[in-house]
Amino acid sequence: MRRLRALALGLLAGTCVLSVAHAAKPPSDRLAPIHVQDLYYGDVLWRLFAGKPDIETLTALEAYQYWHLMPHHADDAALLAGSLYLSLGMHNEAGRRFEALLTDKVPAGVRNRAWFYLAKVWYARGYYDRSLDALHRITGKLLGELESERQNLTVNVLMRQGRFDEAVAQLASWHGTPDWMAYAQLNLGVALIRQNRMADADKVLSAVGTLDVAGTEMLALRDKANLALGYAWLQAKNPQAALVALNRVRLSGPYAARALLGAGWANAGLKDYQQALVPWLELHDRNLLDAAVQESYLAVPWAYGQLGAGAQAAQYYESAIQSFEEEAGRLDTAIDQIGSGHLLDQLLSADTHGQQGWFWQLIKLPDAPQSRYLYALLADNDFQEGLKNYRDLTYLRSLLENKQEDMDTFDAMIETRQKAYDQELPKTDALLATDAPAHLRAARGSIDSELNAIETGSDVAALGTSEERGQWERVRRLEEALLNAGSGEDLDEARAKLKLIKGVLYWRLDAAFKARVYAKRRELRALDASLNEAQNRWVRVQSARESVPTNTGEFAARIAALAQRISALKVALARAGDRQNGYLVELAQDELGAQKGRLAAYEVEARFALADIYDRASAPKAPPAAPPAADEEATPESPGAEPPTDQGAMPAPAPPPPSATP
Amino acid sequence: MNLNTLASRWLITTMLLLLAGASMAADTPAATAPAGTSDTPSTTAVPADANAAASANSAAPAQSEGTRSLDEDLQGLKKDVVDLNRDLFVLEEELLYPANTQVAVFVSMDVGDFFALDSLTLKIDNKEVQNYLYTPRETAALIKGGVQRLFVGNLKSGQHELVAFFSGKGPNDRDYKRGATIKFEKGVGAKYLELKITDRARRQQPEFEIRDWE
Repeated sequence: MRRLRALALGLLAGTCVLSVAHAAKPPSDRLAPIHVQDLYYGDVLWRLFAGKPDIETLTALEAYQYWHLMPHHADDAALLAGSLYLSLGMHNEAGRRFEALLTDKVPAGVRNRAWFYLAKVWYARGYYDRSLDALHRITGKLLGELESERQNLTVNVLMRQGRFDEAVAQLASWHGTPDWMAYAQLNLGVALIRQNRMADADKVLSAVGTLDVAGTEMLALRDKANLALGYAWLQAKNPQAALVALNRVRLSGPYAARALLGAGWANAGLKDYQQALVPWLELHDRNLLDAAVQESYLAVPWAYGQLGAGAQAAQYYESAIQSFEEEAGRLDTAIDQIGSGHLLDQLLSADTHGQQGWFWQLIKLPDAPQSRYLYALLADNDFQEGLKNYRDLTYLRSLLENKQEDMDTFDAMIETRQKAYDQELPKTDALLATDAPAHLRAARGSIDSELNAIETGSDVAALGTSEERGQWERVRRLEEALLNAGSGEDLDEARAKLKLIKGVLYWRLDAAFKARVYAKRRELRALDASLNEAQNRWVRVQSARESVPTNTGEFAARIAALAQRISALKVALARAGDRQNGYLVELAQDELGAQKGRLAAYEVEARFALADIYDRASAPKAPPAAPPAADEEATPESPGAEPPTDQGAMPAPAPPPPSATP
Repeated sequence: MNLNTLASRWLITTMLLLLAGASMAADTPAATAPAGTSDTPSTTAVPADANAAASANSAAPAQSEGTRSLDEDLQGLKKDVVDLNRDLFVLEEELLYPANTQVAVFVSMDVGDFFALDSLTLKIDNKEVQNYLYTPRETAALIKGGVQRLFVGNLKSGQHELVAFFSGKGPNDRDYKRGATIKFEKGVGAKYLELKITDRARRQQPEFEIRDWE
């Protein structure tokens, strides 16, 4: 399943990134190599590859889409969202998205794989028509084993829909990888049995049943084919052929118990009760939980009865009755415990994997008294699917619990922020009313004009130091005074000295003038930078001030609305969880009830048989009874434990096999 | 009821069950359909190791009609939760990290032959804001091409300095610690910085740089 998940997600994401380093032309079954151009798309991929929960990755992806943070990867992100929905078991949403996205622009290989996985999910969820529709959308062939798997899935869907002829036709014209071929042959064999074409079925199932294979999975498949063939021949009243197939089933495999039971019946069918006892006695020592073992508890004494060993038969019947009673008592306890309502929590607490969604499966059962009876449930798809849903619901509820706490925090944050605004706003408004930047800009303008005038008029003294400006002022005043002072030698001398001083001073001022103009210009530029910064801040303050009422108000409204949605969804999730819990408990109780019912029936059979043995033992010798017809109506009065003459007759012909559809 | 009949009914039931199971061989982890009733002894239970023998290629068998509507309801409910979760995420980010003050720091890694990242420490304006220990899977996610958003926070506009310390295993599996620094200007919009770890093949050394995304 993990492999499947990786494939499903890698289908769209992996190819985007892994191939970045390879500049070669992309294969047609992959998305073109994409260099990650949006950091946020890279973040989604990182979450995906790092194994973060799919729901968190999907949430981030959808939020980034909402903010338009992935403009360069809009299509890739949308495809990825579809595959994440698929991974979370939300096949309806995934299907909707794929239908919209998987256009001709997407490479055929990617498109085909997406449809294939969608078909697989829909099949698992029982939407056969949708599954077949998705399969039909696949164009050409899938790569590698997927093509074999696709054809196998098509056959299974057809069989589920009761379209056996089409399934047979599909399989007959198909060749794929050996593993999948074996699966397909097994399905074909079963389909042929359903059509009462035993000769053809034998050919196909024997091919699978005699495969030279290794590995747990394929060995089990081989056993299963032999088991199916063996029972089919038993049904067709051909115990000899059945024995050949059943003898090929491994004694250590998962189907050994049923094969042993069948082998016993095949031998019984051949009236070889001694030989029938061999597999049945082997079964007798195995775990009573197995229905085949339970059957053997009745079959063994029955065979002894057929062999005329009444005492041994009685002994085994007594032992069976005691075992059935004990087991029934344990089942009662387990049913009560399941009814207490904690079954699902116990089941889920035994699972330590953190994965959600469709790819999750419960493998380990808790260490509880009822666990030993629940393994059959684990194999039941309805139960597994229901359990997945229950687990997802539980996870989503805990997620919402945390989010509700966040809402309270956000609420407090908004309140605090509003209080702070209330305190700061009057000060801010007062500051903004001063329009300070405009005044500063005006002042800066007048300085600039003044500097321009100084530069244009070469007013060298204007940029002198304060001492120089003082000296210049004194020279100017002295000049004015000497201008109207009349004439005289002393005055002429003073004028000459003043002229000299003025010349020296002007020379100094003029020499420094350009540098001083430059320095002033530089200061003005620095001032401009500061003014710009102040202006930016001013604008931000103005903007923040303008957004204050709506900003906090909007957040408060959003928080309130989201809190309402959380509450409503929590109620809905709780309700759905209860429904799911009830449904699963019912399934579990039905399963255990069925086990108990079966045991009760066996016990009744054993008691009747035992009573009959005792009756016969205590009754005076009578002439031998006529052999009953093999399929006579059963009567409690004649349980038939004691062998008349040909008690081992084969059972009556079985009705036609049922349809594969549930 | 005699045992002949018992055997007959047992066989019929078993056959039905087996066929139902066998038909699912290619698509079910455990082929069985428990259907034993009080008067039809049957082979129902699949041994536990049947699950182990189940195909890794298998999908689960189909869902019964009875649970279909519940499944539809649940899907709708899950979609509502996903939508809600997205809206909460949006609210949280907008509330906590407004665009005008937001600073996000990302980490990316190219190839990774000369450096295996163990931890990363971030300092902004000489204040430690993040210290992250990587799991092998997270490092692998970076090498695969993921870009981690390592830090998101708020900064006022103006000049700032980011210093990143990378720790891990360098060439020849030696402990390796390097730093990288950048001075950046935080303006009115959100600021994104990327810490890039690349392999410098010519020098057989890793290289660490910080990119300012305008």
